[in-house]
Amino acid sequence: MTDVVRTTLIVGLEVHVQLATRTKMFSTAPNPAHVSFEDAAPNTLIDPVVLGLPGALPLLNSEAVAMAARVGLALGCSIATFTKWDRKNYFYPDLPKGYQISQYDLPLCFDGGLELPLDDEGARTRRIGIIRAHLEEDAGKLLHEAPGGAAIDHSIVDYNRAGAPLLEIVTQPDFRDADEVVRFAQLLRGVCRWLGVTEGVMQKGHMRFEPNINLHIELAGGRVVKTPIVEIKNLNSFRALRGAIEYEAAAQVDRWREDGRVMGPGAKSTRGWDDVRGVTTAQREKEDAHEYRYFPEPDLPPLTLDEGAIARLREALPEPPHERTRRYVASYALGGKEAAALTEDRAVSDFFDACVEEVVRAGVGREPAGKKTANLLLQSGAKRANERGALISDLGVTPAQVAGVVSLREKNEIGSSAADELFGLLCDAPGVEDARALAERKGLLQVMDESALRAWCEAAIAANPKSAEDYRAGKQAAIGALVGGVMRISQGRADAKAAREALMEMLGG
Amino acid sequence: MTLMGVRDAVAAGEVSAVEAAEASLSRIDAHDGAVRAFVEVHAERALARAREVDARIAAGERVGALAGVPVALKDNMCTSWGRTTCSSRFLEGYESPYDATATKRLLDAGAVIVGKTNMDEFAMGSSCENSAFFPTRNPWDTTRVPGGSSGGSAACVAARMVSASLGSDTGGSIRQPAALCGLVGVKPTYGRVSRYGLVAFASSLDQIGPMTRTVADSALLMNVLCGVDPHDATSANVETPDFLRDLERPVEGLRLGVPTQAWDERNHPESTRVLREAMEVYRGLGAEIVEIGLPRMEYGIAAYYIIAPAEASSNLARFDGVRYGRRAALGRDEDLAALYARSRAEGFGQEVQRRIMLGTHVLSSGYYEAYYLTALKARRLIKADFDAAFASGEGGPGVHAVLMPATQGPAFRLGEKTDDPLAMYFEDLYTVTANLAGIGALSMPAGFAKGAGSDGEDLPLGVQLMCAPFDESRMLRIARMFERETGHGERGPGM
Repeated sequence: MTDVVRTTLIVGLEVHVQLATRTKMFSTAPNPAHVSFEDAAPNTLIDPVVLGLPGALPLLNSEAVAMAARVGLALGCSIATFTKWDRKNYFYPDLPKGYQISQYDLPLCFDGGLELPLDDEGARTRRIGIIRAHLEEDAGKLLHEAPGGAAIDHSIVDYNRAGAPLLEIVTQPDFRDADEVVRFAQLLRGVCRWLGVTEGVMQKGHMRFEPNINLHIELAGGRVVKTPIVEIKNLNSFRALRGAIEYEAAAQVDRWREDGRVMGPGAKSTRGWDDVRGVTTAQREKEDAHEYRYFPEPDLPPLTLDEGAIARLREALPEPPHERTRRYVASYALGGKEAAALTEDRAVSDFFDACVEEVVRAGVGREPAGKKTANLLLQSGAKRANERGALISDLGVTPAQVAGVVSLREKNEIGSSAADELFGLLCDAPGVEDARALAERKGLLQVMDESALRAWCEAAIAANPKSAEDYRAGKQAAIGALVGGVMRISQGRADAKAAREALMEMLGG
Repeated sequence: MTLMGVRDAVAAGEVSAVEAAEASLSRIDAHDGAVRAFVEVHAERALARAREVDARIAAGERVGALAGVPVALKDNMCTSWGRTTCSSRFLEGYESPYDATATKRLLDAGAVIVGKTNMDEFAMGSSCENSAFFPTRNPWDTTRVPGGSSGGSAACVAARMVSASLGSDTGGSIRQPAALCGLVGVKPTYGRVSRYGLVAFASSLDQIGPMTRTVADSALLMNVLCGVDPHDATSANVETPDFLRDLERPVEGLRLGVPTQAWDERNHPESTRVLREAMEVYRGLGAEIVEIGLPRMEYGIAAYYIIAPAEASSNLARFDGVRYGRRAALGRDEDLAALYARSRAEGFGQEVQRRIMLGTHVLSSGYYEAYYLTALKARRLIKADFDAAFASGEGGPGVHAVLMPATQGPAFRLGEKTDDPLAMYFEDLYTVTANLAGIGALSMPAGFAKGAGSDGEDLPLGVQLMCAPFDESRMLRIARMFERETGHGERGPGM
């Protein structure tokens, strides 16, 4: 047996994203990928166009085109000023017209790419090329059991999904391990959610992945063999995506040892993923499966977009989440995980940005402003958001109020637990009250008055003579209990640092 | 009575809509047994509609341009009542849940639709013999075909059962039967009339148009049918003129182009004669006749019989037995492929199957470039030929319309060409080019092949006019000049 020196995994990815337009790709029937219609009963989101009734004609949904172009731009693609529609012909009961309207040789988006972060901080990246992203219509669903799971001796079809708009994104084979593919898939989900083109709920089938996988096997003596490409169909979770790639990375070496087959015309095969057993399985393919007889769709005129419209879409494009993450790490000295947490949702990230601007306006330097605001939102904010099942941006606190809390804390006018309490009070306060005014009203501001501090310290020593004794005897750590006592007695209004200094002085430190 | 005649009589209260409908239905009763123009007559519905129109007129309400006028629809236009079969076994019991835009426009104008007319199955054919149900006969000589595919729509107007009907024209399916039945038939510019609800044969070629006895009747129907439709992305967003307004005004300084290709050696001598006479008539009216070349016209039939079947093979894929229409009863061990194969084999006639196979073949990898792409190239060249003919100044002779035969000869006998598909395909020789170029065209009565019928009857012949895109208004005026001068369309088949 030939010795394998090294294997290199080569993966390219196809992703189908269901666009959450109100209506379908080529008809005015409601789209099940839109949140308003996702629970519709079977075969209710239909009309003559969706069902392919005689005489029905497709109509282009321009909302889908705009969404697709926005995703394309965010992935660094060029947008075609002239594209057309093509028919992909094949028979299947879930395909009402006997053809799918797609884009064959002139995709809407092409020649893009992005720097994929390979770690949380985005310090290491890999360039992932995007070959194309095109629009097409989804098929219905063929079901082999009755709704509810009862056995039936025939198949039934639900056409709700038929005609729903799909964006198919195809990458270059630029991935070298499963982790990169999953990172890209997650990033893409983030971008699509960011742009509001999908909720990105994997369980609802909003995104489906199809990796193309093969290996370059380097043998002793320097010869390199390339294994046949395997396409894994219809993966609908990140776990399945990772599992299928990792499985193939190992299995293709074994397969090659067994049959010696290498990459070449006709060698490509299609496999499915068995989630339970954790293996890929061969799928039965018809000989003529790839004879789709593509030709230009005569029912739809070609689509022309002028440069001005494309430029306007580009200008209106928000900074994408991965770039924002990188900016947070670089400008605010945030950790990668913190930055990622802030960019998971666009509303939260926009809210964070607005808060930082307010804090900077209040006179805090930009880097500490970002860092302190992030801390407040990811601690006090995230805690309340979790409790309420809401986004941090939807807690009822304004950026000005957040800035108020941050700058009170920054000027040491408020303690850390009082800051957290103040944030909570702001969440529940009915009107929009100034943070400082509320803190004053609730007595949360630190008292800087020397005599009050001394009185609290004396009371703390009196209440805990043992700790005072210990400290005097040289046990430095005992001071902590006394500081705690001061904070308790002052109900948090004392400045802990000042209290420590006063205690040390009084106990003759 | 003509369409205009019925319309005016109803509007003036001389005839009620019910009387007009009854007259139409009794003509159908009397003659359709011999002609068989209709696959379905909706007598009760038509009378109910007519009563509604009469009530509205009695109440002094505004009624549409076709109020109370009986008309017939080719059975490939969807109606939300009755059946829409395309004269195919596949759609034998098919009921459409919606109205075609053309249907809706007729109804909105107050027309009374009396029934659906027979056709070559899915509009594939030139004789009406490809109907899965029965052939329609030519009212001028019932041993002969009415032409096709809109044969039923032609025969019912020629037999005076209705004064107007709608046909569809993919390669000549309005103009050829109009010529063979002595009628005016208009194929509008591609995009003029919405295709929504027209069961597609070849999407890039199909157009709905009127079939009538007079030019004015066609102009009136054009007024009702034309206009952009939000349901059809290929319908053109151009202004619809009033086709009747200037109809009587002759075109001054008229220039007509007659292509050298009009004198094909296979033409019936009577076809050649009526074309020569038409040229003389126009000369007599002060027109200048110029000879033009349409050199790429000779590729028309070949290109057409690649493009049309290619589109048809895809358009007819939806007839799979899964959702509606014919569904084969399967044995226990038969699979999905059998459902498709058997349903389609049972549901489609021979010619439809032949064209689906042709179309599938020319789109297959390895043949696509050689056949389909080459045909598209030929199509562009044919269009360029017409553009050049209509261009004025140094660009071309600047003709207002092209004049040529509609067909190579008069109606042929039933069965005469059924065993020779190619001979049947050449029935479209002079008509397919207008569809490939997407321009407007019409056929109009131009005289008779004297004594050419099986019992020595005279058989009608037509000549064809073609115009630049969206120039139908002027083309109809040119046709009207000829009609007023010759009166060729006035004579009926004497039923």
